[in-house]
Amino acid sequence: MALIEIDNLSVTFLSKGHKVHAVKGVSLAVEARESFGLVGESGSGKSTILRAICGLAPVSGGSIRIGGQVLNSKAGKSFAARVQMVFQDPYASLHPRHTIDRTLSEPLAIHGLGDTDARVMKALDDVGLPRSFRFRFPHQLSGGQRQRVAIARALMLEPEILLLDEPTSALDASVQAETLNLLNRLRAERGLTFLMVSHDLAVIDHMCDRILVMQHGQAVEELTRDALATAQMKTDYARSLFAASADRMLAG
Amino acid sequence: MSLLSVRNLRVTFDTEAGLVEAVRGVSFDLGRERLGIVGESGSGKTMTGRAVLRLIRPPGKITADSMVFDGQDLMAASERDMRALRGPRIAMVMQDPKYSLNPVMKVGAQLMEGLRQRDKVSAQIAYDKAIEALEAVQIRDPERVMDAYPHELSGGMGQRVMIAMMLIPNPDLLIADEPTSALDVTVQAEVLAILDGLVRNRGMGLIFISHDLRLVARFCDRVLVMYKGKVVEELAAKDLLAAKHPYTQGLLNCLPRIGGPRQPLPGLDRNADWAV
Repeated sequence: MALIEIDNLSVTFLSKGHKVHAVKGVSLAVEARESFGLVGESGSGKSTILRAICGLAPVSGGSIRIGGQVLNSKAGKSFAARVQMVFQDPYASLHPRHTIDRTLSEPLAIHGLGDTDARVMKALDDVGLPRSFRFRFPHQLSGGQRQRVAIARALMLEPEILLLDEPTSALDASVQAETLNLLNRLRAERGLTFLMVSHDLAVIDHMCDRILVMQHGQAVEELTRDALATAQMKTDYARSLFAASADRMLAG
Repeated sequence: MSLLSVRNLRVTFDTEAGLVEAVRGVSFDLGRERLGIVGESGSGKTMTGRAVLRLIRPPGKITADSMVFDGQDLMAASERDMRALRGPRIAMVMQDPKYSLNPVMKVGAQLMEGLRQRDKVSAQIAYDKAIEALEAVQIRDPERVMDAYPHELSGGMGQRVMIAMMLIPNPDLLIADEPTSALDVTVQAEVLAILDGLVRNRGMGLIFISHDLRLVARFCDRVLVMYKGKVVEELAAKDLLAAKHPYTQGLLNCLPRIGGPRQPLPGLDRNADWAV
């Protein structure tokens, strides 16, 4: 049984009286300790799937199961302890008036976990931030440092699953490399399962074992990493996406 | 004669912690071509772009041996002259549509503002020109976009609105600061095609600021690589992927590649001597 099972998921928003079908009948399964990637252009519904798992998007059909359990509409504490999300923009996802210490210790307080001091220090060590950053505010950190804080915050409750929504697209190339290395190290150390969204095929290829190509809210094609590297895609859309990223090939 | 000529440009900030030099002696010439400026954040590439428009607030100071745009000395120009240049002659597309568009003003009103205030055209002509500008950047339903607030647009749409706004007065030089970094590959290709068309058809000069080396290599004619406020390497864009300077090579090597090995990506080697 797969750890994350999504069956025929549909998400519909109501916008100015119109129904917008953001996700139309998408199914996927992610095994424990696997790293699964979602790619597609903006508006293809890839981020919406992550948001639906977290209960941040209205599910209108289908089901989401984590470890065999169907998700309730009200995701409670036990869900937060298993699944955490890292958002795209580290400038928007950290509370601007909370110190790093407060951001990191809040999940501990909510879940009634003690030993806050040691856990916060360890979290900073784990993501490679100096301990002196503990009482700084987000505006005193660079984008890459903020994304490290966001990753540390997601890991405070020691979840099994990390949902990564374009975790490096707001970062420079060199900082992106450091952040991807950090995520890979943490995944290896902790046996995490990643469900990752990116529009950069090279990033997805570097991080993920299998990928799902999406377009207009629908699943277009599922590819293994080898099939991607050797350009063995069957659908035209996947091929055009691949062609647009041709300069990101190994030889290029 | 070149469109823009910059010699020994410096931007310094007098802060409590001492003098910070964001740009340290940058020189370049620009014709009617696409010049890329690449580097990490903090390398001074955005400050270089803003300094050309003299858009640096105190305590920031701009000094240069010379900075000449189309025969006009930008360093000696009065603030009034600069205002006449900004927009109609030199335009800048900012990085983030979320922060650069007015959040409480409809897109249409923002697009028409310059036409109404500066060019004193009638509301109808301004509306038609704004629609035309949105169509030029491949926005399919311009009437809806005109009536939308910035938060109702996606990142790609917002970026295109900003480009449309800058192109209405038909500038001779466009400074584009990371115009595509918020966009995905397919929209990115569209925006680049729009900019490319403008350089070719209108003979516009373009300064393209980006941290994406592969994009710049593909899109620009010439590239300046900046590190800690200095230009460490200047080369033709087609040679970028075979760059000699270790910093440029480092920037290229830290990018993941499709089909590349799964080992950790190499970090960037930052050698202080390169910027001396």
